[in-house]
Amino acid sequence: MNELELKLKGKVPGDDTGIEIRKSVCAICDPGTQCGLDLYVKDGTIIKVAGTKEAPHSHGTLCSKGAAMRQYVYSPERVLTPLRRTGERGSGQFEPITWDEALDEIASKLNGIKREFGPESVMFFSGYAKWARPYLMRFAMDFGSPNYLTESSTCATAMVMAQQLTYGAPAGPDLKNTSCVMYWSHNPSATKSLNLEGINRKIESGAKVIVIDPRVTDLAQLADVFLQLRPGTDGALALAFGHVIIEEGLYDREFVASWTRGFDEYKQLVADMTPEKAAGICGVAAADIRAAARMYAEAKPACVHFSAAPVVHHTNGVQNYRAVFCLIALTGNLDVAGGNRINPASLVHQPGGFPTREREFTCAHRLAGLPERIGARRFPVWARLCNEAQACDIPRQMRTDDPYPLKALFALGLNYRMFPGSQDFLDEVCKLDFIVDADLFLTDSAKHADIVLPCCSSAERREIRCWPMGYVQFTQPAIEPVGESRSDVDILAELSKRLGLGDELLEAGIEACVEWMMEPSGLTVKDLDEHPEGMWVPGAKPPAERKYLDGGFRTPSGKVEFVSSVLEDVGGEGCEALPSYREPAMSPVSRPDLAEEYPLVLGLGARLPMYQHTRTFRLPWTRSLSPDPHADVNPADAAAAGIADGGWMTVATPKGSLTVRAHVTGLVREGDVHMYHDWPQANANDLLDGDYLDPISGFPGYRSSLCKIAPASAEGRGAGHD
Amino acid sequence: MIRKSLCFDAKKCVGCYACAVACMDQNDIDVVGDGVAYRFVAHVEGEDGGDVRIAHVSMACMHCEAAECLDACPAGALHRDEASGAVVVRRELCIGCHACAMACPFGIPRFGRDGTMQKCDACYARTRFGYGPACAEICPTGALTFEEVNDAADAKLKRFGRSLV
Repeated sequence: MNELELKLKGKVPGDDTGIEIRKSVCAICDPGTQCGLDLYVKDGTIIKVAGTKEAPHSHGTLCSKGAAMRQYVYSPERVLTPLRRTGERGSGQFEPITWDEALDEIASKLNGIKREFGPESVMFFSGYAKWARPYLMRFAMDFGSPNYLTESSTCATAMVMAQQLTYGAPAGPDLKNTSCVMYWSHNPSATKSLNLEGINRKIESGAKVIVIDPRVTDLAQLADVFLQLRPGTDGALALAFGHVIIEEGLYDREFVASWTRGFDEYKQLVADMTPEKAAGICGVAAADIRAAARMYAEAKPACVHFSAAPVVHHTNGVQNYRAVFCLIALTGNLDVAGGNRINPASLVHQPGGFPTREREFTCAHRLAGLPERIGARRFPVWARLCNEAQACDIPRQMRTDDPYPLKALFALGLNYRMFPGSQDFLDEVCKLDFIVDADLFLTDSAKHADIVLPCCSSAERREIRCWPMGYVQFTQPAIEPVGESRSDVDILAELSKRLGLGDELLEAGIEACVEWMMEPSGLTVKDLDEHPEGMWVPGAKPPAERKYLDGGFRTPSGKVEFVSSVLEDVGGEGCEALPSYREPAMSPVSRPDLAEEYPLVLGLGARLPMYQHTRTFRLPWTRSLSPDPHADVNPADAAAAGIADGGWMTVATPKGSLTVRAHVTGLVREGDVHMYHDWPQANANDLLDGDYLDPISGFPGYRSSLCKIAPASAEGRGAGHD
Repeated sequence: MIRKSLCFDAKKCVGCYACAVACMDQNDIDVVGDGVAYRFVAHVEGEDGGDVRIAHVSMACMHCEAAECLDACPAGALHRDEASGAVVVRRELCIGCHACAMACPFGIPRFGRDGTMQKCDACYARTRFGYGPACAEICPTGALTFEEVNDAADAKLKRFGRSLV
């Protein structure tokens, strides 16, 4: 090989090879990670993907999903033109149509439905990616529908609610300045692998680590204390921590006296939850509970590293996390350096250390004048704390027309498998008169739409992102859109014109919108465009400490609420004002009758590193790493059922059963079965009923229910797509 | 001078597969066609004093100084790239006899549908020009690095030293 041939083989950028590096971001997973992408482009085509070294968050690394970006962009399953359904819903039979035809048809149908049934009968849904959500919410408000909803009806929002109820707003861990981190359900190996280097450095610097997780993880192995609890008992464990901390006088008396509401009631509540009692409930040693509680309370400062969904994916989830978050206030670690600090979001749920007008841009303030949202009556706490409708209530409203009929759905990235009883959810949605889904691929959800619109990937569009250290990036398209695909925001802008919504700003396009949202930051689109790789925001700063000294907390009382005013006001089963512990609705303790037939605890939603919901199953590179659906089973349970490692087994619940491979592993507790969700041919979320929900948040109790397992043959497994 | 090579630190590996996919991307590996993966990630479970432990290993060709595969190949399909020290296969010369697979102590040589051997070449066509191997460049935890082996050993030695305090 001559030098040029060698360089071409190595994909070395340069004038001689014609390979150019263009900067972008990976949007395959959520905005908490968003890694910088170096796209190696030759003749307009991406030929290689790498991480962006100067990205301050991901510093040149990617995970297995981001590394597969090229197959994501060039998947043969990309939708290339707008499509109109010609066969039955779900048949996958469509005809290509032009953008004009598609947009005109959508505008005419949606305006017709609006005239006949009111704007509230049209739902506006966002799945992944999350970047276009502010624009979609504005669009829904323009249309006059209160029913802007997202897949966050089952992810993250309940965790935010637990913090809002307790101290008004989310308070992230200040890892940089802490001397003790309590990871309460976090498995970065599968979800945020780039976090691990920092964790290792932190441990080497002498910081203490506590890990609470039902499974043994890489992180758990690094811990000073690891508590492997029974799924769904987090609340009991956290109350026992409170018991130890108060009993041993380790709490911050001054903060508690001045800045909390309901401490005496809380003290009474935890008095009853001795470590010995919690040990019996959670299945961990009382001595370990005491050790962990002391370690967290005595380290100054200490922080709690929480995660989006695992703890709130229980029918008692919000209260469980509320009990955890109370510990932050109890120990005086709230809004201080090295503790948990309240840090307002700048863009797309992410703090950036600079002010924006994103919230105003969404026009959320108009909700007050609109009819009630889906789920508002069934989940009043949700409606009070969150701007979205609760999508888990869609099936009920479809069945009952209460409080009004739903007729149409306009979705950016619909994924019915995010919802409990997914097939039932889809069946109800299919009764709508009109469904539009914009997506990259003709997914199993998109196959049920009347019109499918082709969307761009992050490599083909512009989007603005920020990172907590004060960094912002307004990306440039690295390649031309694949097929006739368009950016979600371009679609909304064009549709807004045809619907006659009269939104000049949205219709002016993404640059105008970004200019408007970024105005308080002092940065213009011109500034941002000079740095396609991203830039440090001048004047961006970390949040101040003890901001509550100036105006209190954003709770009704202005204090941290051990006793929640909102829950007190709403009341009802499961909405106790104190974070008291209740068993998961389906557990061996709460339902011994069911447990006779279904003796094992079923946890759905533990992650695999190569998958993010349904997004990367269709990519041969990631799929080759884990081709078959499987569930983790403890060796003792597998032996008792006569199931071999790698063999097929059925996992059955009262709702249904699936055939998957057994992964026999000591990493899960005896008595627990853990399964990844969303598999095309074995969707775990179908194993639960659509009504298996937390009464506060409406979140599904994915992480704790009951099941049984039995050996099976490979024939039992279903075929499926993504 | 000791050449830089791929170094692996099992204590830092979390089995995330980023290296495996970055390798597929760099080498355009068609895993549903005639391609096979060059880099493998294995999860090993064991017990330590009653506690379950898990470790992960990212493995590809070790590019041994005394490469048994190279000696075993009767067709001259394997050679050493002198600049990088990488053991490189020329598939057009491979006769598919599997002698390399029998000789390799690590189970690295693999064969695609066309019967010829495929394996890691340590991205010698990148390292020649100052770029790192794709797997090491992407590794989020620093478990896979491209450096002088004694420097990598130094880092482990220091960590061991710290663990004594």
